[in-house]
Amino acid sequence: MSFEDDDFVEDDEMNMIDEDEAASDSEAESLSDSDEEITEKLAEPTKTAVYNRDGLLDKLQDISWPEDIDWTHKLTVEIEQGQQAAVDVNDDLAREMAFYTQALVGTRQAFEKLQEMGLPFLRPGDYYAEMVKSDTHMEKVKSKLLYEKRQMEEAEERRKARDNKKMAKEVQSQKMKERAKQKKDEIESVKKWRKQRQQSGFSEKGAGELDLEFGNGKSFQRGGGGGKKRPGVSPGDRSGGKGKTASRMNNKKREFRDSKFGHGGRKGLSKQNTAETTNDFKGGFRGGKAGGNKRQKR
Amino acid sequence: MGRKRKHSEAEAAAPVKDDSAPERPKRTLLGWKDKKEDVEEAKEAAASVSVPGFRNKEKVLVTCSRRISFRYRHLMLNIVSLLPHCKKDSKVEAKSSKGATLNELVELKGSSSCLFFECRKHKDLYMWMVKSPSGPSVKFLVNAVHTMEELKLTGNHLKGSRPLLTFSSNFDKDVHWKLLKEMLTQVFGIPKEHRKSKPYHDHVFAFSIVDDHIWFRNYQISVPHNEADKVARGGLDKMTLVEVGPRFCLNPIKIFGGSFGGPTLYENPFYVSPNQIRALEKRNKAGKFAKKIKAKTRRKMHELSNPLEPDEFADMWKDDE
Repeated sequence: MSFEDDDFVEDDEMNMIDEDEAASDSEAESLSDSDEEITEKLAEPTKTAVYNRDGLLDKLQDISWPEDIDWTHKLTVEIEQGQQAAVDVNDDLAREMAFYTQALVGTRQAFEKLQEMGLPFLRPGDYYAEMVKSDTHMEKVKSKLLYEKRQMEEAEERRKARDNKKMAKEVQSQKMKERAKQKKDEIESVKKWRKQRQQSGFSEKGAGELDLEFGNGKSFQRGGGGGKKRPGVSPGDRSGGKGKTASRMNNKKREFRDSKFGHGGRKGLSKQNTAETTNDFKGGFRGGKAGGNKRQKR
Repeated sequence: MGRKRKHSEAEAAAPVKDDSAPERPKRTLLGWKDKKEDVEEAKEAAASVSVPGFRNKEKVLVTCSRRISFRYRHLMLNIVSLLPHCKKDSKVEAKSSKGATLNELVELKGSSSCLFFECRKHKDLYMWMVKSPSGPSVKFLVNAVHTMEELKLTGNHLKGSRPLLTFSSNFDKDVHWKLLKEMLTQVFGIPKEHRKSKPYHDHVFAFSIVDDHIWFRNYQISVPHNEADKVARGGLDKMTLVEVGPRFCLNPIKIFGGSFGGPTLYENPFYVSPNQIRALEKRNKAGKFAKKIKAKTRRKMHELSNPLEPDEFADMWKDDE
């Protein structure tokens, strides 16, 4: 780059604009419009850009600190970049990874230096001081992280439940098919046996020839193949099984009421006469009725 | 190196080593290059005295222009909280954002540098980094701003603790980057015994140059440790960084020789102002309509010059009515 005169500067920007139009019309298609609003790069840099190297060096000398000061004043670390060209600006993940590794490597080097110097540089667990983000803000951050985690977990669970349901449905359909098959088989076998018996003319020794499999005799019992769950109840008992004597007492009352008013109880005839009650003075059968109606209406 | 040495003991160690020194004449500060101990002792003495009078007295003035939008204002506030050696000042009028007034302001507050955030058209943020009184100044265009309040940036660190500054190696490739690196070190590095600074180093700044932009990241360092001056064995490998924020990307526009003006020392040849970009886009869009009109007239001319042969079936249904 050539050595430019200092007072050339003022109209530079205007010149740059005109040249830009010419140069960047062709670049219109190459506008990199990523989310980060990175400005467009010109293909050929404007030739009139100032680059006063000596002036820059002078200023650098002016402002820089003396050479021999302690490193702890500056705390700077320079990181070599291996494949620097490989970092594409628009690839967010790669770019951030590059920054992260740079910081990580730098911190390691700095920590080694600090450790050699023997200065304390790590915050002890009990050192409480003002942080750059307030506690309320960190609470929000935490709740957001927890929320995200919960969302993920719920999604996982839902997916698993869906898969399980599918599996379960398949298994169930399988079982149903099997049971149906079994039933059919058994009926078939009974038919066969009957036919056999018929053919052999109902001979008396046929009882022993019953070599059918009944599946342990369970399948013909009430309650299905699962086995009896309530052994105290005989099959064909519709009473609902073992009950207490008290409820049997109430059953008698129940029976009486049912027979008098039909199942469901009396409706609104508590103060009206029926055929039987016309001639009953003083109430009649109060034992079961008095107050019982009111109670049963509920 | 295996012994635990607290900060106070570092200074106590210096006089201990001095016992060997009194035999030698005052040659320690100039340093005997071949005697390593003397050089180290000189450094330690220097550390405790901070090299014949060097004290980092950097003071940064942070201001912004009026009509700055909320995101950039939060960025400015984040930077204020990151730098305890800065002073936040009230907004400056738009007319006075050039040259003299700002210089006076900086002088008045007795600061040695200034960070001025200028927001143009409520959309673009320009940042001036200026060393006072006669120092160079840089104007940046700031992109890709993410403030500390974003919930995705989960790290946290002590307010005012001194950061470690890491620069990528391409800062040394060219003169203007070197100058920028020096300015960044001085502005973003907290002075050593500043009264508002906190003692430990628990965060790190990362400045990298990618695509001729300077990218800034701020990470919190979390490393398993039990003592304040020694990392646990193997701890360095388990170190993780969590991003604290803020995040921004600087595009250098110009470097001037004076503060807020002066001779231009450097211009970025690749810089295109955001106004131009927007104008370009508009022009593209405007081009669409003109092109459509042109295409229509062209089609008409074409049709006129090449008439279609009469269609045999054109009158087929005319008689039916």
